[in-house]
Amino acid sequence: MPIEHVDEVRHRIPKGARHGMRTDVLFYASGSILEQVEKDRALEQAMNVACLPGIVGPSLAMPDIHQGYGFPIGGVAAMDWDSGVVSPGGVGYDINCGVRLIRTNLEQDEVRARLKELVDQVFRDVPCGVGGKGHLDITEKQLNQVLEQGAGWMVEHGYGEPSDIEHCEEHGCLAAASAGEVSARAKERGRPQIGTLGSGNHFLEIQFVHRVYDEEAARCFGLHEGQVVVLIHSGSRGLGHQVCTDFLAQMGAAMKKYGITLPDRQLACVPIQSPEGQSYLKAMRAAANFAWANRQAMLHFVRGSFQKVFGRRAQLALIYDVCHNIAKREKYEYQGRTVDVLVHRKGATRAFPPRHPEIPAGYRAVGQPVLIPGSMGTASWVLAGCEGAIEESFGSVCHGAGRLLSRHAAKHGRDARAVQRELEQHGILVRSETRDGIIEEVPEAYKDVDEVIEVVHQAGLARKVARLRPMGVIKG
Amino acid sequence: MAEYELLDHTADTGFRVCGASLEQLFIRAAEALVDIAVDSSRGQARERRTVRCSGPTVEDRLVNWLNEVLWLLDGERFLPAVIEELALEGESVRAIVCGEPRDDARHRPRIVVKAATFHQLVIREHNGMWEAEVFLDI
Repeated sequence: MPIEHVDEVRHRIPKGARHGMRTDVLFYASGSILEQVEKDRALEQAMNVACLPGIVGPSLAMPDIHQGYGFPIGGVAAMDWDSGVVSPGGVGYDINCGVRLIRTNLEQDEVRARLKELVDQVFRDVPCGVGGKGHLDITEKQLNQVLEQGAGWMVEHGYGEPSDIEHCEEHGCLAAASAGEVSARAKERGRPQIGTLGSGNHFLEIQFVHRVYDEEAARCFGLHEGQVVVLIHSGSRGLGHQVCTDFLAQMGAAMKKYGITLPDRQLACVPIQSPEGQSYLKAMRAAANFAWANRQAMLHFVRGSFQKVFGRRAQLALIYDVCHNIAKREKYEYQGRTVDVLVHRKGATRAFPPRHPEIPAGYRAVGQPVLIPGSMGTASWVLAGCEGAIEESFGSVCHGAGRLLSRHAAKHGRDARAVQRELEQHGILVRSETRDGIIEEVPEAYKDVDEVIEVVHQAGLARKVARLRPMGVIKG
Repeated sequence: MAEYELLDHTADTGFRVCGASLEQLFIRAAEALVDIAVDSSRGQARERRTVRCSGPTVEDRLVNWLNEVLWLLDGERFLPAVIEELALEGESVRAIVCGEPRDDARHRPRIVVKAATFHQLVIREHNGMWEAEVFLDI
């Protein structure tokens, strides 16, 4: 495929590269990331996205791009609100998969002294839910409230503090969600799983701030070197998966009605303004609210774990919570006009710059905290949104390291206990409900997260604030 | 014993199954899905469930059938041990699945499967043998 190198980190596939493309593909990568990206079908998928009706601006791909289903993971596409389409594949099965970062008032040394006790306590208190259910029993009526109230429902019912809500994207709740649009199956699949972590690449890590790169922003987010933080990476569990499955099936049939033909079934989409499109958006928002409530419950459990080990002096405060699998209506100035778009972020994080009204007042001077989880046992990052993201990527940046090896390849010749021992030698304790949870997520299975961050920093989409390193990992 | 071959995919996982008939192909695909999610070697056929689904194409029918099996596993917490019969008639799939309620102590969970997908889905027949490649979102 013809790739034009715009500069060191920006690359373009022009819209004429393949029949049906309505726009260019613009992607961000360093030289070595570019070599890796060309090995799978991710760029071809970004070209497929460029074929979708109503796309505004280029089909974007972040440096953590890898092959997904339909959309590439690390893909961003803005669709015209009136004439564009909505695609469940552009959000993914794990609706509002996201990250929350919690700061503690504890330092690395004091936590390391009791790390085993703490990791074991968190492992008991935060269910992974790979097999069974979580610790929370909610009725169907309460689930319907969760679907429309998100994280706020948890706080109202004693699972958190009011300030937690202020520090979530969208205050932990998307308006215009409808529990009525979520199928009985999705509710039944998700209800026992609320307050659980899940498996795959989801994890909870006890980390410490390894290095601060931007003192002002770090101070604003309440971070300093050596401080212990907790990062939770999880989503909407079986509820979100079922919503995606339900609507993909419906949309496959509805596309004919709207005369939409696509190169990949997983890209199934319908006009945003169609009854099917509106119905999906209401269900997707409800699933997103479930995910915020899910992460809020886990924050509450983690607070309990820290206090069981360190007593009442352990204080945990939410820095921020961001989603990276979502479609949201936003407005931008694009090529001299205001565009009203539905931004699909499939493995991409919102990154609003300083002074943006939609970020918490306390962070407005420095920009939105952008939370980028690494892979198990490697660094994670805190960034701050920059103007560049508004100017060229519809307020979006990367979401993680991005996979390099398949799960199958990652397992090859590896033993879970040996991986666990090796991580322990590096000062990282791992607890997992499954053996596969450890071997499939070995650090070697992912790109170098530091290199991914360097690309978005250089591109001016977000800037480095702090690098975090893990001490304890809980996995499904 | 599930008979399948794992396929590489950067983000997720896939499998290839074969069958002497389309019905056997559907059964083997379901067995592969269950085996990827759970260690079902100690599963017992204590209860029967009837599963019905439909789809306009054979691809739709296979994906919908696998998502029905996933619903049994993840929604109903039921471990399919044996697929007693499976009939394909026109656009519909009907199967009798025997198994038991999931017990994590006996049926060790392996990974949460989010869904069976249409991504790179292939169903083909060659010399009377059927083959399918299916990718799962993990």
